[in-house]
Amino acid sequence: MKTPSPTWSPSTALTSSSTAVGTTTLIPLFWSPSPGPTTPPPFYLRNVYHFKFLLKRALTWVAPTVDAVLLSHSDTLHLGALPYAMKKLGLSAPVFATEPVYRLGLLTMYDQYLSRKQVSEFDLFTLDDIDSAFQNITRLTYSQNYHISGKGEGIVIAPHVAGHLLGGTVWKITKDGEDVIYAVDFNHRKERHLNGTVLESFVRPAVLITDAYNALNNQPSRRQRDQEFLDAIMKTLRADGNVLLPVDTAGRVLELILILEQFWEQHKLAYPIFFLTYVSSSTIDYVKSFLEWMSDSIAKSFEHTRDNAFLLRHVKLLINKSDLESVPDGPKVVLASMGSLEAGFSHDIFVEWVSDTKNLILFSERGQFGTLARMLQADPPPKAVKVTMSKRVPLVGEELAAYEEEQNRIKKEEALKASLIKEEESKASLRTELPVNDQMVLDANNTHSSSNAIGQRSEAFRDVLIDGFLPPSTSVAPMFPFYDCSSEWDDFGEVINPDDYVTKDVNMDQMLMPVDGDLAGKLDEGSVSLILDTTPSKVVSTELTVQVKCSLIYMDFEGRSDGRSIKSILAHVAPLKLVLVHGSAEATEHLKQHCLQHVCPHVYAPQIEETIDVTSDLCAYKVQLSEKLMSNVLFKKLGEYEIAWIDAEVGKTENGMLSLLPLSSPAPPHKTVLVGDIKMADFKQFLASKGVQVEFAGGALRCGEYVTLRKVGDASQKGGSAAIQQIILEGPLTEEYYKIREYLYSQFYAP
Amino acid sequence: MASTGQSLTSLKKREATTANNRDGDQLIITPLGAGNEVGRSCVYMSYKGKTVLFDCGIHPAYSGMAALPYFDEIDPSTIDVLLITHFHLDHAASLPYFLEKTTFKGRVFMTHATKAIYKLLLSDYVKVSKVSVEDMLFTEQDINNSMERIEVIDFHQTLEVNGIRFWCYTAGHVLGAAMFMVDIAGVRVLYTGDYSREEDRHLRAAELPQFSPDICIIESTYGVQLHQPRHIREKRFTDAIHSTVSQGGRVLIPAFALGRAQELLLILEEYWSNHRELENVPIYYASPLAKRCMAVYQTYINSMNERIRSQYANSNPFEFKHISPLKSIENFNDVGPSVVMASPGGLQSGLSRQLFDRWCSDKRNACVIPGYVVEGTPAKTIINEPKEVTLTNGLTAPLNMQVHYISFSAHADYAQTSTFLKELMPPNIILVHGEANEMGRLKQKLVSLFADRNTKIITPKNCQSVEMYFTSEKMAKTIGKLAEKVPEVGETVSGLLVKKGFTYQIMAPDDLRVFSQLSTANVTQRITIPYSGAFAVIKHRLKQIYESVESSTDEESGVPTLRVHGQVTVKQESENHISLHWTADPISDMVSDSIVALVLNANREMSKVVVESEPVVSEEEDARKAEKIVHALLVSLFGDVKFGENGKLVISVDGNIAHLDKQSGDVESENEGLKERVRMAFQRIRSAVRPIPLSA
Repeated sequence: MKTPSPTWSPSTALTSSSTAVGTTTLIPLFWSPSPGPTTPPPFYLRNVYHFKFLLKRALTWVAPTVDAVLLSHSDTLHLGALPYAMKKLGLSAPVFATEPVYRLGLLTMYDQYLSRKQVSEFDLFTLDDIDSAFQNITRLTYSQNYHISGKGEGIVIAPHVAGHLLGGTVWKITKDGEDVIYAVDFNHRKERHLNGTVLESFVRPAVLITDAYNALNNQPSRRQRDQEFLDAIMKTLRADGNVLLPVDTAGRVLELILILEQFWEQHKLAYPIFFLTYVSSSTIDYVKSFLEWMSDSIAKSFEHTRDNAFLLRHVKLLINKSDLESVPDGPKVVLASMGSLEAGFSHDIFVEWVSDTKNLILFSERGQFGTLARMLQADPPPKAVKVTMSKRVPLVGEELAAYEEEQNRIKKEEALKASLIKEEESKASLRTELPVNDQMVLDANNTHSSSNAIGQRSEAFRDVLIDGFLPPSTSVAPMFPFYDCSSEWDDFGEVINPDDYVTKDVNMDQMLMPVDGDLAGKLDEGSVSLILDTTPSKVVSTELTVQVKCSLIYMDFEGRSDGRSIKSILAHVAPLKLVLVHGSAEATEHLKQHCLQHVCPHVYAPQIEETIDVTSDLCAYKVQLSEKLMSNVLFKKLGEYEIAWIDAEVGKTENGMLSLLPLSSPAPPHKTVLVGDIKMADFKQFLASKGVQVEFAGGALRCGEYVTLRKVGDASQKGGSAAIQQIILEGPLTEEYYKIREYLYSQFYAP
Repeated sequence: MASTGQSLTSLKKREATTANNRDGDQLIITPLGAGNEVGRSCVYMSYKGKTVLFDCGIHPAYSGMAALPYFDEIDPSTIDVLLITHFHLDHAASLPYFLEKTTFKGRVFMTHATKAIYKLLLSDYVKVSKVSVEDMLFTEQDINNSMERIEVIDFHQTLEVNGIRFWCYTAGHVLGAAMFMVDIAGVRVLYTGDYSREEDRHLRAAELPQFSPDICIIESTYGVQLHQPRHIREKRFTDAIHSTVSQGGRVLIPAFALGRAQELLLILEEYWSNHRELENVPIYYASPLAKRCMAVYQTYINSMNERIRSQYANSNPFEFKHISPLKSIENFNDVGPSVVMASPGGLQSGLSRQLFDRWCSDKRNACVIPGYVVEGTPAKTIINEPKEVTLTNGLTAPLNMQVHYISFSAHADYAQTSTFLKELMPPNIILVHGEANEMGRLKQKLVSLFADRNTKIITPKNCQSVEMYFTSEKMAKTIGKLAEKVPEVGETVSGLLVKKGFTYQIMAPDDLRVFSQLSTANVTQRITIPYSGAFAVIKHRLKQIYESVESSTDEESGVPTLRVHGQVTVKQESENHISLHWTADPISDMVSDSIVALVLNANREMSKVVVESEPVVSEEEDARKAEKIVHALLVSLFGDVKFGENGKLVISVDGNIAHLDKQSGDVESENEGLKERVRMAFQRIRSAVRPIPLSA
């Protein structure tokens, strides 16, 4: 491929991995350097949907080479690994996200961290890491064309509405007029708080990356589902039971809150509803200022009545479980994070409520593989489950002494190590680091594959990274000097800067008590301060088995398009190449087969860490259209396109551009092309309007008395990438024949 | 891309001379309002058949129809997009009229915050404006209807309507204020609206667009004036108020209800919390409208600056502790010192005027005018501190109160404007939204600033069109199969030129369906003709006309077929029918038509033809015949044609002689004209005499 002007002649590689069903995919996609002087800055598009062990292994080799990270949703599946990757894996690329993804993502990570820290020695990253990871995110608005500068010059990225979550994004990456669309977890249906995705407005992208997660699912209508949802809750409440909805921190829960809020308002219900996460009040506060990201109806109602839909009248926001305990007994609805029931408030409440037959636990999303939620969603549900009750307690006596000793030792070691590193070359130090990581990976994987629920402390995280070329291995160090890392590592590891802790506390204050501002009243001093302070503490766990007696229901409120819609959307978008990620093997295979048949001939479903090449085989060059040529071109308008046939001679302009000039000799003949898409039904109407008698008979259109028109190889069969339409016109020699032919020709444009 | 000529002509005059070849490249900008004045902002722009209108305001100093921009000058139905920069009356208030009372049918865009405040503001405007019903430009209902048609755009969001691409940048003037960048076929026009490059207590500064526009339509409200630094202005403001209230006086701040008022309230609130001694002096904010708008301010916190957003994390900065709302003058307990902020800002009527009338003669009192005042309003008059003023009841009263003019108005001053333009470097600058003198001074100064560059600075009056020509280079991208090899100079490129919006692509027909949503089709035609004669007759006849007639037999039915001209297949379907089938294209259609005619003819002449046996025509005889015909035709064309040597023909016309070689078609002649003509004639004769060759 020899192309003189900046041309997109990239090869695209894609990696992905999947260990357990429907859980993990890692997809670094990149356009590796193409030969030629104007190499387009290559880019990785990566979707890390990972168990962190995997992430560690997979990201280790790509993280430093990533050029940009695009976050598409605010949940942990899409951005949960960001702090870790930034801190430990040397990911230093610019990060892009929409304002809600940034803000709610930050809150989600705080909630996640606090929930986990409460019950385990969570040490993958700290609140500071979260802050610093999110600090430099570039925030974009929908349809904003962001021109990447520097290495990615010429590349334009633009977020578009994805549905699913507030601020959720379908990314469009454009280079030289060719689009790569990254669309995972989109929802075409309009919901209470979100508009449907605009994915369908993209036509013929070079590559579309999407997920097969829901390929086999079908959803009932929204009205029916909402009704069943409310019925189930009301039934429990009226029978004096409690309802627990394990939810995410700031994503789908918003839709549930709106449903409940509206229903309570309509029916003047008095049952209390609580929204319990570590960050619930901040969440709702920020959500209130994101109206422009929500559905048209919410925006409209605000413009007309200045009624903010998230000014909640019935849902009470709690940030501590003790507040819930102080509520008088009686039926209530509690929305608590986390949806997996693995940790967090939902876990604690679950343990308390599970053995009472009156209670209801209503799952609004499918549990990730290996989580408690998933076990409970099994059919039939288990009779009893083992749970671990964990509590963080301060260290005392001997333990404290031992801890302090240990700390001192670590400090000394780190100081020693740091000084060593400084002496060494950055490259060498990188090498010493890597094997350590790898070792951990192996262990972790073993634990993981023996998958017991308890062993799976980690969430499935996912995020999206977009990045440049994979540099030759020798250039790793020169391009991404390790010195940056080590000096940063100094800050965190060796020198404990008291200021860091001060900032953190301030941040936490802001996070936790934005509205009424009385921290003391809101926080359970004991536990939260243990997390925030540096007071040595430990986690005490007890394992117990609880009887599952309460009702368990799963309803699909995930806000993802279902299988049928996905197929029709894909057929409409009709990408030249399609990449499927994130989905069970079965669903992926199903969708792959479907798409091969109906959408496009290039469908890839890469495994984790498998690199696939979706090089665009497109050739292109730019020419100038001279004024002389254009003055003789007559365009014919066809929909939003205008087309014309040109015969031109190539010339050069003063500045060396190729330009097209009119031919000096008469144009050579060329094969005729009929441009246009004929729909038999439309044509029938058209003929009828011209006074020709028409009817369908045996798959053909009978026009007048003798003439028949038939179409073979229907275009709709294969989506947009259909073969050329074949139309057969048959009849005896009559005037009618020629008349109908005339009408048929009028439907086409023959340049 | 260069502007080659500009002229200032009236729009009407231009219409008379429309037959301009370069019409498509002509870009017209016409201020319908705000040309050499402040108020009724409305700028019309048209390029390549696309039309954009920026802003749609009224003139606050006039009422009724007189306040409208000159809509008569344009045909509203041709406007594709209307872009509103911010909610101020002089930028948005004629919108309901324009939407409901004119033929306008395009689309309207503004930012979310602007839309939310727009409704409140205009409803209020309708209620307070004291004009007769006939003079009323629109009603509450019109405003509600207009809300349905207004679409929202977020900052930086790129939209495309009808080939017009546009997006907006933060303008810093008021909440939701935007600067619009419009891109039509690669020509970019930036309309700043009102903007400020200075960050204040709650708003961000106007952004510097990433791309330099070809034309910048920029406000010139403050002309060559310079603002004092913000902290000095704030100090003057708070000092003036502090000294007045501490002497027992009352302070009137006439301010427009929204926009700058919020900034002043933030300043006062902060000052009061820092000065305990003022705790007992009440601050009133007399605007129910502003109170209603608070919800909007609280919601669109994301459009404000970092400062206020970080405050928001703790408590709402727009919930004031020291400032209380005031409904009307009846509820106002006027005892002792107080600070009242009231609208309107120009003191034309309303609460601010009532308080002014009441307080103006007491020298302890003060009036602080915090923003730009429009020419012709009482506020403008008192800035010059006349001895006496006329009250609303017609009486005159001495003006004893202190008058302070401290501008907080978030318009760019000269320093901001010049740096902004220096950074952007637009080749064309159009000044609007400025009083004529002020604008003139700014123009002079900018001209000298950009003297070394070829920057054009224009200050059109209302309805005066600025015309420019942009010969945009049309670039096309050749893609797909056609682009497999980059052609050398002199080679030919043939393919489909596909235009979508303003982008061109050249591709092979086969690639059309790959790169566009268009598809291609093949039409196969089959026609049956009654014919009962011998198939051989048709074959014979066809051979006389077409060079390529191949016979074969149909594989399925075993009937004889002929393939004529490589495109049309003739098949003997039965004793009484033959069929033709071919793939539709102009040549095949013509061939098939000729075959049909031939078959029909053969049918008619059947009886005569069948008896004659095929005369064996020798090649020689054929050639002789042809020669004869050629000769005859040449004679009929040139008159004197003789047989010369070597089988050449000698043609003499008016003493000029040409020698024609019949075999090669070469012509020799002294006279170039004759030579060319003979050659052409011979070529045509030959192609008429010979059977149609396949290669055609």
